[in-house]
Amino acid sequence: MSEFHDNYPQYEVMANHGEEEGKKNRSVLWKVFWVMLAITIFELVVGFLAPSKGWSGTLWLKTLFITLTLAKAAAIVLWFMHLKHEVKFFKWAILAPYIVFMFYTIFIILTEGTYSGSSGHFTRVDKIFIEQQAALKHGHHDATHSEGAAHEENHEGGEHH
Amino acid sequence: MAHSAEIDSKEAWGGGRSPFNLSYGKIFMWFFLVSDALTFGGLLISYGFIRHKYAEVWPKAEHVFTHFPFVEQHIPLAYVGLMTFILIMSSVTMVLAVEAGHRMDRKGVITWMFWTIVGGAAFVGSQAWEWYHFIIGTDDGALRNVWDPATNAYVKQIWHGANMTVNEYGVPQFANYFFFITGFHGTHVFSGVVINFIIFLNVIKGTYERRGHYEMVEKVGLYWHFVDLVWVFVFTFFYLL
Repeated sequence: MSEFHDNYPQYEVMANHGEEEGKKNRSVLWKVFWVMLAITIFELVVGFLAPSKGWSGTLWLKTLFITLTLAKAAAIVLWFMHLKHEVKFFKWAILAPYIVFMFYTIFIILTEGTYSGSSGHFTRVDKIFIEQQAALKHGHHDATHSEGAAHEENHEGGEHH
Repeated sequence: MAHSAEIDSKEAWGGGRSPFNLSYGKIFMWFFLVSDALTFGGLLISYGFIRHKYAEVWPKAEHVFTHFPFVEQHIPLAYVGLMTFILIMSSVTMVLAVEAGHRMDRKGVITWMFWTIVGGAAFVGSQAWEWYHFIIGTDDGALRNVWDPATNAYVKQIWHGANMTVNEYGVPQFANYFFFITGFHGTHVFSGVVINFIIFLNVIKGTYERRGHYEMVEKVGLYWHFVDLVWVFVFTFFYLL
């Protein structure tokens, strides 16, 4: 096996570099790492504060998290996976199909998502969940398993398989 | 890239040359990763759809993932933050292994690949721990309608933890997507650790030293960064939002 693999031609890209260039590359990679770490810590701090500050579920928080996620993803793909330094056509061969498919799927799911659940007709949820979530919102944590959640007439259950 | 102007177009289409000035192996690793990313993208988008559909009863991550090893208090998100740190860190050690490979620095490749494997194993272990606590649940539990096959009816009872049909924390769909997406990602991490280990052994044996380049380390590095890339999204959509 190794006889075969050892014989494939060497490529321009694998041209090995020297000590000096290595030093430069390493400093860039560490910078990318520190930025990513800072973003992650920032996200965790905001995520930790969100419930008490009433930020949970707000549009600006979602936008912030998704933007920071995309920034981290870009850092991984461009620097760690080296795509920034590949040939232009290769960058597009990788990114264009993915971006087109993802935007298309997200568009479809957002369109269909507006129909699903909005009428309440197709979403059959066990009433227990609704009561418990309402209790959580009002801060009664112990109500998660309280008698208030259990109306005896509500016996039909939620999951219709 | 610098040489692209010198390529004669007749010669370029005559075969015997890899396109994009990249090696065959690296190009196909990228194509595989694109297809794998489409799978993960599909899973996450479907997760978003179901979450939107059950928006008012969807559990909040800060109420679910509150455990930290050896600590009694509930600290939401701390452990998953640590897991994210471990995975980003192992991505850095991987890229440093690749960089050492470019300098034909065998010792450097061994050191950095070793830490990458340690980080990957730590991440898989953490995920197992997280699953364990998710499955056994809290002491309090929650009231649930549980299907009883003996009487063919739903019975109200206090339920602890989560499985595919009953979930203490909220709608069962939350647990289904949690198991499937983090499980699928965990499988990727696990196979990544195994592949890294095989390449690590080859580095120790001196296979790539003899070959004259460490391109194989670069290829497994691409896969490893992809695993980190997916986790960045899973982390956001499952734990933060």
